Amino acid sequence: MNSNPYIKPRFNGTQMVMLDVIIALMPLIFVGWLAYGTIMLQQICVAIVTGLVSEFLFSSILLKKYNTILDGSAVVTALLLTLTLSPVTPWYILSFGVFSAILFGKIVWGGLGKNRFNPALVGREFMAVFFASVMTSPNIWKTSDLVQTSAPELFPGIDYPYLSDYLNSVIFKTTGAMGEYSILCIALGGLYLLVRNRISWHIPLSLLGTFTLLVGLSGGDGLRYSLGGILLGTIFMATDMPSSPTTGNGKLYYGLMIGIVIFIFLKGGIQYEYMSYSILLLNGFSDQASVVFRPRTWGETLDYKRKTEEIFILTLKILGVAFAVLSLYYYELVNYLVYLYILYIIIKFNFSFSNKVSNAI
Amino acid sequence: MLLIPSLKGKTKYSDISTIADSKDFYMPLDAYRNVMTPVVSIGERVKKYQLLAQSEGTFASKLHAPVSGTVTAFFQLNGKQMIHLQNDFLNLETLTFPVEPTGLTKEEFMDVLLDNGIQGAGGSQFPTQLKYNIQDRQIRTVIFNGAECEPYLTSDFVLMREKADELIKAAQVIRTVLNAQKIVFAVERHNIAVRKILLKNASNLGVEIEVKILSDGYPQGGELQLIKSVTGLEIRKGSFPADHGILVNNIGTLWAIYKALFEGRPNIERIITVSGNGCQHLGNYRIKIGTPIIHILRETNNNWNPDLQTIVLGGAMMGKSVESPLVPVHKGSGGLLIMRKTKIEKNNCIKCGLCVDVCPQHLMPLEFVRHNLSSDVPELKKFSLQDCIECGACAYVCPSDVPLMENIFDGKKKLFQ
Repeated sequence: MNSNPYIKPRFNGTQMVMLDVIIALMPLIFVGWLAYGTIMLQQICVAIVTGLVSEFLFSSILLKKYNTILDGSAVVTALLLTLTLSPVTPWYILSFGVFSAILFGKIVWGGLGKNRFNPALVGREFMAVFFASVMTSPNIWKTSDLVQTSAPELFPGIDYPYLSDYLNSVIFKTTGAMGEYSILCIALGGLYLLVRNRISWHIPLSLLGTFTLLVGLSGGDGLRYSLGGILLGTIFMATDMPSSPTTGNGKLYYGLMIGIVIFIFLKGGIQYEYMSYSILLLNGFSDQASVVFRPRTWGETLDYKRKTEEIFILTLKILGVAFAVLSLYYYELVNYLVYLYILYIIIKFNFSFSNKVSNAI
Repeated sequence: MLLIPSLKGKTKYSDISTIADSKDFYMPLDAYRNVMTPVVSIGERVKKYQLLAQSEGTFASKLHAPVSGTVTAFFQLNGKQMIHLQNDFLNLETLTFPVEPTGLTKEEFMDVLLDNGIQGAGGSQFPTQLKYNIQDRQIRTVIFNGAECEPYLTSDFVLMREKADELIKAAQVIRTVLNAQKIVFAVERHNIAVRKILLKNASNLGVEIEVKILSDGYPQGGELQLIKSVTGLEIRKGSFPADHGILVNNIGTLWAIYKALFEGRPNIERIITVSGNGCQHLGNYRIKIGTPIIHILRETNNNWNPDLQTIVLGGAMMGKSVESPLVPVHKGSGGLLIMRKTKIEKNNCIKCGLCVDVCPQHLMPLEFVRHNLSSDVPELKKFSLQDCIECGACAYVCPSDVPLMENIFDGKKKLFQ
C-alpha cells in the first residue's frame, strides 16, 4: 500500500459481495429443486459451466486478465439468467444465453463493473431474439407434467379459492420461471442482501411503491403480470450495482422510473418482457441519474430551479425512450435494437474500451 | 457517518511516558505551503529552544532546537529539506520568558503563537496564528477539538486526561483574548471518560467550560464536521470559520499554546501514540520534534521489518507511510503506527456507491477516479474535488480497492495547476 488509508474492513471485497448474492439466491434454488428436482440442477450446472468457460476464455483473449473467474461474477450472472427462464429451456439455448451475457453483457464493456446494462438481462434478450421461435412459444411454459413436488394446499381453512391460491403462490407454486416459485424466498434473499448492506433499500422501496400505487390508481384491470417476476427483477436485477445509480436519491429516482415504465409497458401490452425491458431501459440512464441526483456538497447552497429543470429533462428523455420501445414492440422491430447494440458495442470495444481495460473505472 | 471499529483500547490507558533523547535530530523544514529557511549556519552551536529556521509571508512558521548541540549539515531526505542537529547532551537552554496573560491583546497573542512555532497538531501543521487573525470579527464559540476519530490514536485523549489543568488554563486565556462567549471541548462518545476530568479541573480553576459529547463516526474530528456537530452550522470548505463566529483548535495545539504562554517554551515536542497491528510495544510518548523514527522504535523496543510492515506517521486513515527509518517526527504527527502490509487486489469499480454513502463532504469519489484518469479538469471541478478533505473514508470502504486516494491527490494537483 502506498497511500492512505492503511486499514481496511475485513471480508468486504468484491468476491464477498458476489458470494453474498449467491447465498441470497440459495433459498430460491432450493425451492426450484423442490419443484423440478434434477431438471433444475442440470440447468444451473449448464449455466455455471458455460459462464465460467466464457468468462475465462474471453477475459483472457480480449482483456488479457486471467483470473477474473475467481471474482464470482460469472456465477452470479449465470444464476440470475437461469432463474428468469423456464425449467424446460433447451440446454444449448441456455448456454447461448449465458455466453452472450458474459461476452456481450460484460466483457466487451471492459470487464466487471464497467457494463452499462445488466448482463443477465442482456443474455435474456439475446436468447429472445436469436431463438425467438422456441423462447416465445407457449409450449415452453408447459411444465406441469415434470413437477416433482406439486404445490400443497396450505390454507385449507380459507373458503375463497382466489385468496388461498394467492397465498399459496406466495409460499410455493410451480408455474413460471425458475426464480418465481416462492415470493417468500425472494424476499428472504432480499432481506439477507439488505442486512449485509449489499443492496440499499432505495430501489426496492421506490420501485415497488410506485408500481403498487399506479396499479392501485388504475384499478389494475386487465393488467397481467407475475408478482414473483417483478419481485425477482426488483431485488436481484434492478439493484445490480454496476448498472444502477450510485447516489441515494439517484437510486430512488431510478426505482421510481422503473416502476412507471413497467406500468407503461404493461398497459401497452408487452407480455413477457416488460420487466427486463424496463430495467434495461433505465440501465441506460443510470449514470445520468447518479449525476443529476448527486448529493449536495457540504455547505453548498442548491440551485433548485436548475435542479428541477435537469430532473424534468431527464424524465422526458426516459419517457420518450419508453414510448419508442413500445412502438418498436408493436411493429415487431425490437430485434433491430439488439442488432444495433451488437454493432455499437463491437465498435466501441475496438476503438475505446479496449484501451481502458487497466483503468479501474 | 462511517463507523470504524475503534482500536484505541490498546493505548488508551497507558500514561504519557518519555524516551531518552536521540543523538541525531533531523529538523524538517517543510511547513504549511512553504519551506522554512535556516537562520543558523553549519558548525554553529545552538541551545535548546533557539530559533533554527523560519519562513515569512502569510503562512509564516518557525522551528526551534529541541536540544542543545551542533548544526552539522543541511541535507535532503526523500526530497524534503532538513537540518541535521547533533545532540551534545548538555541541555543548555536559552532563557525562557512566560507571558503575562492579563491584558494580552489579540495581536500580542498572535506574536506569541508565531514566535513559539505553534502549528496545527491535528496533522495539517497550519500556522495557528492565522486562525487568530480575525480582525474585527467576533468569535462566539471556541471549540477545542478532542474528537480523535483516527482509529488508533489516543494522544489527545491522554492529554485531556493527564493535562486537563494546563489545557483549561490555556483555554481560559484564549477566551479572554478573543472575548468569546463560550469554550467547548468536543469529545467523542468513546472518550466520554474525560468529561468528568475536564469539568472537575475547570470548576477547580473557576473556569466555565462546556464539554460536548459527539457520536463516534468517522471523520468526526474533521473541522467542518466538528463545527456542524457542535454548533449545527454547515460551513463550506474554504470559508473562514471566524466569519461564522467560530474558532477551532486541536487539543495538541492547545497544549503547545499552554507551554508557550505559561512556561515561555517554544513548540519542540508533542505526544505521539505508538501503536498499530504490527506493533509489539505500544504506548503514548512525549517525543521531541525532529526525532528520527528509528530512534523511537529502538527506545520502545519495536522492530520494523520493511518487507512485512509499513510505518505510518500519523493515523491509519490519514497518515503517510514513510520510506526511510530516518524520517523525523513533525509537529503534525499524532501517531507512529507499525502496520502489517496487506495484499490488496485491485479490481474494477463495481459502482456500489459505498464511497458516496460515506463521504463526509457528500461528494462522489468514484467520479474523481473516472475524470482524473481522463484528466478532465472541468469535470473534476464540477464534482467539487476542491471540497474533498482527504479523510480516506471512501478508500476504506471500497470493496474493489480502487486507488481512490491516489487519484484524488493526483486530481487535486491538476486542479490547482
